Amino acid sequence: MGKLEAAIEIKDLSFAYDGMPILNQVSLEIPAGQFTVLLGKNGSGKSTLMRILAGILDFDRGEVQIMGEGIRSFSSRGRARVLGYLPQHHRPVFPFSVEDVVLTGRASYITWVPRPEDVAVGIECLERVGILHLKDRPFTELSGGEQQLVRIARVLAQQPRLILLDEPSSHLDFLNQAHLLQLIRELVDAELTVLAVLHDPNSAFLYGDHFVFLKDGAVERLPAAERPWDRDFLERIYETGMDSIPYGDRALVVPRG
Amino acid sequence: MNSVLRRRVLYALPLPVLFVSLLLGPSASAEAGKILVWLHGLLFRETAAGPEEALTGTIVWEVRMPRILLTFLVGGALAASGNALQALFRNPLVAPYILGLSSGAAFGAALALTIPLLPVQPTAFGFALFAVALAYFLARTRKTVSVVSLILSGVIVTGIFTALLTIVQFLTDPYKLQTIVHWTMGNLHNSSWAKLRSAAPGVGIGVVWLFLFRWRMNVLAQGDEEARAVGLNPERERVLILIPATLAASAAIAVAGVIGMIGLAVPHMVRMLLGPDNRHTLPASFAFGGAFLLMVDTCSRTLAAFEIPVGVFTTLLGGPFFIFLLKKARIGWES
Repeated sequence: MGKLEAAIEIKDLSFAYDGMPILNQVSLEIPAGQFTVLLGKNGSGKSTLMRILAGILDFDRGEVQIMGEGIRSFSSRGRARVLGYLPQHHRPVFPFSVEDVVLTGRASYITWVPRPEDVAVGIECLERVGILHLKDRPFTELSGGEQQLVRIARVLAQQPRLILLDEPSSHLDFLNQAHLLQLIRELVDAELTVLAVLHDPNSAFLYGDHFVFLKDGAVERLPAAERPWDRDFLERIYETGMDSIPYGDRALVVPRG
Repeated sequence: MNSVLRRRVLYALPLPVLFVSLLLGPSASAEAGKILVWLHGLLFRETAAGPEEALTGTIVWEVRMPRILLTFLVGGALAASGNALQALFRNPLVAPYILGLSSGAAFGAALALTIPLLPVQPTAFGFALFAVALAYFLARTRKTVSVVSLILSGVIVTGIFTALLTIVQFLTDPYKLQTIVHWTMGNLHNSSWAKLRSAAPGVGIGVVWLFLFRWRMNVLAQGDEEARAVGLNPERERVLILIPATLAASAAIAVAGVIGMIGLAVPHMVRMLLGPDNRHTLPASFAFGGAFLLMVDTCSRTLAAFEIPVGVFTTLLGGPFFIFLLKKARIGWES
């Protein structure tokens, strides 16, 4: 992968929570302008890694660089302008309008109250995600799929160069999942870098460019002869039997009881 | 468009309410007609006023004016503070009264009334801040604060400071005791320009400071992780909003005593009319809170032959309102 510029570089990253090691000597590079998918079983450290990269958790040992600069050298506002982060889903209490929710994505550009240009960016992002018609609706009354699109628009309002998505599609129904992943694909094609945690390896293989597997807090390297969708490799990652179905130049997998 | 109109009505409401309150009152020398005559004389006549008009003038200027201005300021401060606290804790059920802030401020002010060396306003502020911080940290487990635990810890803190207040009352001499008891009921009947001067700086600084932070409250209301993701440190912002919210409310409580439920009910009514955007609800809560308390106070001093302490009135009105909020499912308080 050497020829691709790295958006994120991680070297020997270790993290423990209450004495329990969660991440162990993780080293990897997330290439710029690509859709990288982080995969692994529950508890393998995916969300922890995302939260460290988002600057929400501090880490014990190792080095993390975002766009060539050490992650600790960013101010929180400075980081928010480079890197957008979509946490796992959370239900807000107050029925803010969609427009006002998206506008909060501009916080790192705003001192006291949003200016007209911030509002314009918010509207543009709603348009880009295709939900401008929801602008005045209360966020709390939208369907799960619509809420997730609003949250994507909010991340885009940060005008970041790369975005981190933690399980963006896990609460969505079948069609909404496909729609969301297609949208992410289009954003990447428009030169955004995306790193997403996905539960379903098949969604990853359908839409992703680059795949990283975590197992027990460490990166599981792909042996030279194998490809990410190869059955043997995935059986090791998920520790269960799999059947493989060829699909185009890739393959999809089905767990075997 | 409709919401713009509603906003304007809320902002403009204080003016007619202030004017009408000025005209109403139990004193025969200052009934509405005489006040209008006095006002007309003041504005359009150059000779000195007669003795009867001078009496009217004194009542209006020395009794009624400071009272309605102080009432407005107290109501506005409590409502703006309640609005900020609700946004801050993402919890539509918190208010100065519920978080223990009011009882902390009341204890501080009572202590200062008994011990002459203590200044009233700073002592009330100090104990109020301590009470809120205590309620917050008692409720906090694993970096999160649930709605229910915050209300419970508020009950505990209120209990502690009410007990301490009782000790102060028990130890103090009978003359001062009467003052303290009257004042804890929430009272505006001995308002004066001096009281207005003592409350105005705290309320003024607190409310202006909250006004500056009004949009950041929207960001905080989205959730801690969401706020952090867009570059705002929620812990820091919470402290920066908690201080002015406590300052405004404790300054009001130190002069007027505990006036319950304004801080809870008014921001709710405002949100029902304008939606949750704090850019609008914060100034509207201040305006409407002031006007609302002024209306309640004007009723309390004109309807009955004797004066009912306004705090009793607001709590009687607010109690059922709180139960109504608890029962209403769409408030989303279970999360």
